[in-house]
Amino acid sequence: MTGDDERALLLLRLRSATEECPCAPAPPAGGDAPAPVAAEDRAARFAEAFEAAGGLLFAGPAESVLHDLGETLRAEGVTALFSPEGDAAARRVAEALAPFGPFTLVSCAEVREGGGAAAAAAAGFRTAEAGIAETGTVIETSADGKTHLPGLLPKVHVSLLSASSLHTGLEDALAALGPDPPRNVTFCSGPSRTADVGQVFAPGVFGPVKTIVLLLTSP
Amino acid sequence: MEPDSRAFERNALKALSDKELQDALENAVGRIEARRAAAVASFDGFEAARERASGLRRETLSRLGDHLARFIEEAEKRGAVVHVARDAAQARGIVARVAREEGVALAVRSKSTAAEEISLDDALREAGVEEVETDLGGYVARLAGEPPSHILSSAFHMTREAVSRVFEGKLGEPPAADAATLSAIARKRLEESFSRAGMGVSGANFLVAETGSVVLLSNDGNARAGALLPRVHLVVAGIEKVVPRMADLPVFLRLLSRSASGQPLPSYVSILTGPRRDGDAEGPQRLHVLLIDCGRSAILEGKYRDALKCIRCGACLSACPVYGCVGGRPYGWVYPGPIGAVLTPLLAGLSEAAALPDASTLCGACSDACPVKVPLSAFLLELRSDTRFQGLKAPAEIAWAKGYASVMKRAGVLEALERILGELSRLVSKGHPLSGMPYPFAGWTERRDFPSVARRPFRKLWKIRRGARE
Ligand code: SF4
Repeated sequence: MTGDDERALLLLRLRSATEECPCAPAPPAGGDAPAPVAAEDRAARFAEAFEAAGGLLFAGPAESVLHDLGETLRAEGVTALFSPEGDAAARRVAEALAPFGPFTLVSCAEVREGGGAAAAAAAGFRTAEAGIAETGTVIETSADGKTHLPGLLPKVHVSLLSASSLHTGLEDALAALGPDPPRNVTFCSGPSRTADVGQVFAPGVFGPVKTIVLLLTSP
Repeated sequence: MEPDSRAFERNALKALSDKELQDALENAVGRIEARRAAAVASFDGFEAARERASGLRRETLSRLGDHLARFIEEAEKRGAVVHVARDAAQARGIVARVAREEGVALAVRSKSTAAEEISLDDALREAGVEEVETDLGGYVARLAGEPPSHILSSAFHMTREAVSRVFEGKLGEPPAADAATLSAIARKRLEESFSRAGMGVSGANFLVAETGSVVLLSNDGNARAGALLPRVHLVVAGIEKVVPRMADLPVFLRLLSRSASGQPLPSYVSILTGPRRDGDAEGPQRLHVLLIDCGRSAILEGKYRDALKCIRCGACLSACPVYGCVGGRPYGWVYPGPIGAVLTPLLAGLSEAAALPDASTLCGACSDACPVKVPLSAFLLELRSDTRFQGLKAPAEIAWAKGYASVMKRAGVLEALERILGELSRLVSKGHPLSGMPYPFAGWTERRDFPSVARRPFRKLWKIRRGARE
């Protein structure tokens, strides 16, 4: 029997299994969506949820937080910074931050090829596409060839997030993906962690152990 | 994973006398329950969300064929290769073929109950593929040579000390006292495998029909890395995982995250829609989605359809007093706890798991905890009745139940019996609880005393108190 036959048979089985049943109408979507939040309040709500999820938030403009951000990265043992080639805003922040370490600027390829040791000493900077105030979530997508690498490999993930890009809740965020979503979409809410040992949250087996958001409030 | 549920009673008794297991369960259940309770309490409208989620699941199941057909069409339109397997053997054949055809030498896997259900590791072994379990709990359980004991956290049954001993014995690591150090040890061992792996294997929390997307939730970064870094990604998912629209996801994400780990959302929600396109920086070049039936279409047809509403949050496990005492291993298959006591008989056969529906006090805590309102205790009761009608109950148990029913139906007989037992109790145990009873009641008193029978039955006391004439 071919795969196509098997598939047709499965669908037949499912349809005949449900033939008799009266189809209850689906409840409308969105019933428990959070009430709309004014743009100016979304940033505060995001900050609260993001920090509750274990993230560290700096509210910008970027120049005003460079010193504190640099201190934090140094304390994490970071020695190298990188950002995607096409991400000019992230690159600017990484470059401005370099003297505060001092940190070395490296490329995505160097981190990718450098293996675990390179990633463990690196902080990846990236401009996030959007955020969700309800859950303190940073949204990254693969649209326009954008890479997930800064939030995937290094020890520290720094997201540049514009307050004007914040959605109120999950409903708006998912609707914004449209009918043909980018191939890879990640909602990041806090650092990589695991509760697999004794149900105590500890840093996870893969991915950043620290997530930082630089919330850019200026226009 | 082959079912081994026939020995439930024996394994449960063993579990009860395992001191370290009892410590592990008390700690883990206590923590996870506290987190869930706090998350539910702070979620305004939790009940309304449960109601809606239940309605959405029921509606989806009532047109599962249509929704699944749409998922397949949309996923293939975007370049995914969708396979369908009727049973576990067919699924293993497909996995082995995909691995061979894609030239995979190493596969990294994240926790997936569907993959455990079909014994995916056997298929990869047969195809000559090295497989690395990257989920910390799964990695530990595998090193210890033990089957998973929870649907979300494979090493739920192990204390920190036990994990440390496994790392010491199997990896030669020095003893570690805290979870962070243990996680760091696994990180050091596992992270290189992601860059070397040719294939990532994962389950799916949801399949979105309208876009052909696979939705994966994880707190650890392993599932996301396994989906984005290797050349090939294989998703193994039960056919019931489909939701019709992207707009249906929020209610499930809110409920699943809170019920599973007490979080508003886990660290990573990945929405994967097809393999990478030209110009994409990451993502698999080939995406295979294996949809497994393995008994689900039969469940859909019968009286237990609502069991397929389950979104695998694990809340019923930690809410269950039986699971809390014996852990997951005695259940003998992929799904322990109340949902396991329902799903194992339905998926693996009632004769394989006839003892499981009895592994419940019918207190209803599981049904109350379930975020999509699977009627677990009603199903457990119904399955008990099925075991009787399929001839799977011991004759002595049937005779006892029949005798009990006939007494309970006759008030006069019940009263006479109460009087006799009351007198006997007074004579034999002087009104104290009985610490031992003869066969066939000996099992009752093996681990607890049998309360003494009151001299005056409740109904008699009731009449006296109300001043009625006898
Ligand atoms: S039956 Fe309900 S509570 Fe149990 S795992 Fe499934 S969804 Fe969660």
